[in-house]
Amino acid sequence: MGYLNNSSIVIDAVLTKKGRELLARGQNEFRVTYFALADDEIDYTLWNSDHPLGSAYYGRTIENLPITEAVTDETQVMKYPLVTLPKNTIRIPVVSVAQNSYTFKSPTDRITITPNTVNFPSGNIALGYTAVLSDSDVATFVSVSPSPAQASGQDTASSVPLAISDLESSQTVTVSGTSFVLSGKFSTIRSKKSTLTIIGNETGGRVTIELTVNRLTQTNSSAANITV
Amino acid sequence: MFVRFQADDIVPNQQETVTRAMFSNNVGNLITFFTSSAQTAAQKTYYYELFNSASRSPTAEAQFSIAFGHRFGSGSAGEGGQVDDTPSRAIYSQYRQLCLDAGIKSFTNDGANSNFIYVFNFNRSRLKDGIDEGNIEINLHHLSGSQYIGGPGTNSAHTGSNVKLGNARALRLVDDSKIASATMTSAGEVYNIVSGSIENGVFSSASPKYYGKIFPRLGVVVLDGRKLDLSASFGTVTGSNVAGDNAFKLYKSISGSAAKLTDLSGDKLGLSARSKEYVKSTHYFVRARASQFNFSNNPTFVTGSDGDLAISDFINDPKVYLTTIGLYDDNKNLLAVAKSSKPIQKSFRKETLIEVKLDY
Repeated sequence: MGYLNNSSIVIDAVLTKKGRELLARGQNEFRVTYFALADDEIDYTLWNSDHPLGSAYYGRTIENLPITEAVTDETQVMKYPLVTLPKNTIRIPVVSVAQNSYTFKSPTDRITITPNTVNFPSGNIALGYTAVLSDSDVATFVSVSPSPAQASGQDTASSVPLAISDLESSQTVTVSGTSFVLSGKFSTIRSKKSTLTIIGNETGGRVTIELTVNRLTQTNSSAANITV
Repeated sequence: MFVRFQADDIVPNQQETVTRAMFSNNVGNLITFFTSSAQTAAQKTYYYELFNSASRSPTAEAQFSIAFGHRFGSGSAGEGGQVDDTPSRAIYSQYRQLCLDAGIKSFTNDGANSNFIYVFNFNRSRLKDGIDEGNIEINLHHLSGSQYIGGPGTNSAHTGSNVKLGNARALRLVDDSKIASATMTSAGEVYNIVSGSIENGVFSSASPKYYGKIFPRLGVVVLDGRKLDLSASFGTVTGSNVAGDNAFKLYKSISGSAAKLTDLSGDKLGLSARSKEYVKSTHYFVRARASQFNFSNNPTFVTGSDGDLAISDFINDPKVYLTTIGLYDDNKNLLAVAKSSKPIQKSFRKETLIEVKLDY
């Protein structure tokens, strides 16, 4: 007679860079209130419906997969969130944006990103989207349109990015809403790149936009009336 | 996608005591001791820092320091030729300030003042939050003090090359936490150092032989020099304004014991100790109910650009394999990540409860 599995599994968590940042700020900002699940590194093409030993073995290869340790870069984990959808769903909601890359050419440039969810009626309309800018040195949020749930106070997620002082550098910035306007942070030394990841708060799904900020030169600064 | 924790899903501020072998590379019984070539001669008049291998070796790590202190400054020479400013007096005062309540002038042992002391001070990185009382054993090889001073030499000359290993006998010392409760002082719990061993317990537990005190929270052991002279023939130099280099005697004794002596089972009589660490953690109970989290945004879960399910078996009976749990704040900042050791299947017929432990 074998032993049954215990009903709960205990696993250790590691702090992300963002988690450490908020702890280090020492302003009681480290408060876990939500969880999400993901299946990063699973390849469902390994599901084998033709396994000779029958249906109990269809997922055998996936189940035997050794899992890698968690990395602490919050932009590199939770890539493929699991979502809650009706049982008869045959199409997974897809988050899309108008363009997958954008280059800020002058300091006056702005990009407005309004994500859209297809395959799911009213998907992410209530709770909106979470936008994660991976490097605060490259761009900044100019404005964010809050979701209906944020506007009514049902969702306490902020549509205003956490204030980052001039003394702090290179952090991820997370904000929630339905539409996001960003501007570039220019440097006279070199051009810079970062990513903006948009995640559907209800349906999951994500899309990543590559952001480039050109080096500030005499040419592109004159249009903005800036002396280099 | 994001599920809010309920109040009873979070169990905060749990404390767990984790004990480990005290020394580098998970060594519980240190049997090699090296002084540091980086220490200056002046520093060595105050203390010796001891390493687990030659201090210039890339793998060498400082383990603990040893020092000698004298309440009135004897046994070492002051730069100005006065007993008031000698290193031994400074060391004694330093540990008095650290270990004793305000106003107490002297360490005591078995009811008598300890006017000169030998000190172990474990490095912070070895110590963690403290010495694990009941799991420290100090083995001291007898030295040549009584033979030298009773024979050809004088007390003041029992230093340097005159200090040799004596009879092949060990003075084995442990703390008395197994037979007595701690005395609480401003330095936290204090136990006595008594003769005995971890394996066999306190020697003569009805009337223990006392040799000093241990201050687990500070990582400090203070041994009564007078008792070491009597029981391990240390021959401590106690002359006024004499450079006795007494701390080196402690090094000679512990390294000699580890190199030359074994117990009945053949184990070397080194320095055994465990560290203690208090780990604070919060436990999060992640509950994925039967109807939740049964679809995935994984690109291999779908086919084509329209998001169609890629596997026909999953239509009306989807199955996913969770590997990663993200903990978020209200603003959806990802604060912590946990990963399961193997993929966990989730479907409309399965609920999953996972306890995520976050240490601080």
